[in-house]
Amino acid sequence: MLRSLSLLALIAASPVVAEGARELSAHEHGVGELNIAVAGSDLVIELHAPGADIVGFEHAAESDADKAAVEAALAVLGDLSSVIALPAAAECSVSAAEAELHIEGAHEDHDDHDEHEAHGHDDHHDDHKEHDDHKDHDDHAHEDHKDHDAHDHDEHDHAEEAGGHSEFEASYTLTCAAPDQIETLDFAYFGQFENARELHVQIASDAGAQAFDVERDAAALDVKGLF
Amino acid sequence: MIFRLALASLLARFVTVLMTVIAIAFSVALFLGVEKVRTGAKASFADTISGTDLIVGARSGSVQLLLYSVFRIGNATNNITWESYQDIIARPEVDWAVPISLGDSHRQFRVMGTTSDFFTHYKYRQGQGLALQGGALMDDLYDAVIGADVAAALGYKVDSPIVVAHGIASFTEHDDQPFRVSGILEKTGTPVDRTVIVSLAAIEAIHVDWKSGAKSGVVTPVEVIREMDLTPNAITAAMVGVKSPLQTFKLQRAINEYREEPLLAILPGVALQELWSIVGIAETALLAVSVMVVVTALIGLMAAQFASLNERRREMAILRAMGARPWVVFALLLLESVVIAFVGAVLGIALLYAGLIIAQPWIDAAYGLWLPIHAPGLQEGLVIGGVMLASAIVSAVPAVRAYRLSLADGMNVRI
Repeated sequence: MLRSLSLLALIAASPVVAEGARELSAHEHGVGELNIAVAGSDLVIELHAPGADIVGFEHAAESDADKAAVEAALAVLGDLSSVIALPAAAECSVSAAEAELHIEGAHEDHDDHDEHEAHGHDDHHDDHKEHDDHKDHDDHAHEDHKDHDAHDHDEHDHAEEAGGHSEFEASYTLTCAAPDQIETLDFAYFGQFENARELHVQIASDAGAQAFDVERDAAALDVKGLF
Repeated sequence: MIFRLALASLLARFVTVLMTVIAIAFSVALFLGVEKVRTGAKASFADTISGTDLIVGARSGSVQLLLYSVFRIGNATNNITWESYQDIIARPEVDWAVPISLGDSHRQFRVMGTTSDFFTHYKYRQGQGLALQGGALMDDLYDAVIGADVAAALGYKVDSPIVVAHGIASFTEHDDQPFRVSGILEKTGTPVDRTVIVSLAAIEAIHVDWKSGAKSGVVTPVEVIREMDLTPNAITAAMVGVKSPLQTFKLQRAINEYREEPLLAILPGVALQELWSIVGIAETALLAVSVMVVVTALIGLMAAQFASLNERRREMAILRAMGARPWVVFALLLLESVVIAFVGAVLGIALLYAGLIIAQPWIDAAYGLWLPIHAPGLQEGLVIGGVMLASAIVSAVPAVRAYRLSLADGMNVRI
């Protein structure tokens, strides 16, 4: 019964899939998500936070002030130490850090998106200036810039349709010489972004996954024995 | 000196004191029992799945998916297509994947379709693997491996025939295609004990003659079915292992954002914690009720002490006449209460252990819940201390009254 029902559901659903799926992920203002994956001495940390928490608005940045706020936020998020303070004894070094703004409901192509991510916002910003000034720029930068524009435009249109939630995403790759020295995580994040109230922290390691809630009033997490 | 006096006084009122002790003992046993069941249930849930990084199913809630796919509790989730499953396991992050297909039953037990990888990758209790107590893993299309509880409850041996029922109500049976028990698993204390495991192809095979949920009149001969392509169209869920924990979240996101079908990937540990946070409210309520029972028993103690004051006026007066100071009277009453509380709490713990030893196998058989028996530790010590302290506090009221009385009418008894 179930089997055939789900088959029916599948048939009923297929035209929608053909049109392009419409779906939005969960979005809660004040609450961000932080994922930490650990394998030996390697760590990958990802942050997902609503635009409202980071810059206080979620519409596409139009005014200069909004754009400046987004750029400033991305610059802050680009630095792991402004999100989490890791103990010096763990001897962690960050090998890659990326931060980007993602607007919910945008039908962007994922490959483009990745490219966009790889170059970082600061680069684009610079490219943009160079382009305007008609100073020396190579073809590559020019192409990127076009992509970027098209991308933004796309995001903007769809964001209005979808209600305009935006999310900041940052990811950090790091290596720690003594990961077992990480006993507490101090979330500098709350000091940096005053609208952020809570972070859902998930830690995945060989021992499985665990979740924690960190709130503004108690912005530290005891992770003794987890790394 | 006071202590001896207190003991002697308690012994003199043996029956009343015994009743109070019993009330406290039962309340303490209840409180610790609730605590034991609570922690035991948690541990047993947490021990059910280990080593699986992600569980993938149709988009629902993480708790629902976890409960249905691992614990076979709660509402069925939608199925996911075999194509989506193939897409996911083809991803570079995936180390291994085990598909699970639920929906049929054998008597009161669930039938689960899976692959032989299930037996290598399913781990419980910190990485322990499944083992056979007899027979072999599925070899033929119509072979089934059964859990220890299934074998025990239905008296199956290796080679016993099994008829699988459609759905979970056994009014329609796939009696044209009987299975054979090829192996019996060791007891694990997990839902696997109560599961009949067959191959995915077998699940397809028993549904060959079932169109739109009803049995069609035509019976396809078993020989024809054996020749058919029995690749499933859909599965219920899949357990997935990643190559490196670093890729867990990446794979999870990729699955959650999979465009062709709404899928959900959950981290079992996190989903379990989510479940605890929901159950936590009920747990707190349960704990609050059992604390209330302890408080009630202590109030009973206070009442008994109050009641004894009148009949002990003469005793108090004699004490005072012998030269005892009023505070001695106060201390005597307090001490009596603390002794009652201590004896009650210790007796309560003894009761609990006796109960555990008797009920442990029964609870395990009936609810699949294994309550470990540990030597009394810090928690029990704290409970004894807490009850003694609380008894001192509540009995301070009658003690103060006794103190006052002994001052006022100590030498002037009007009976």
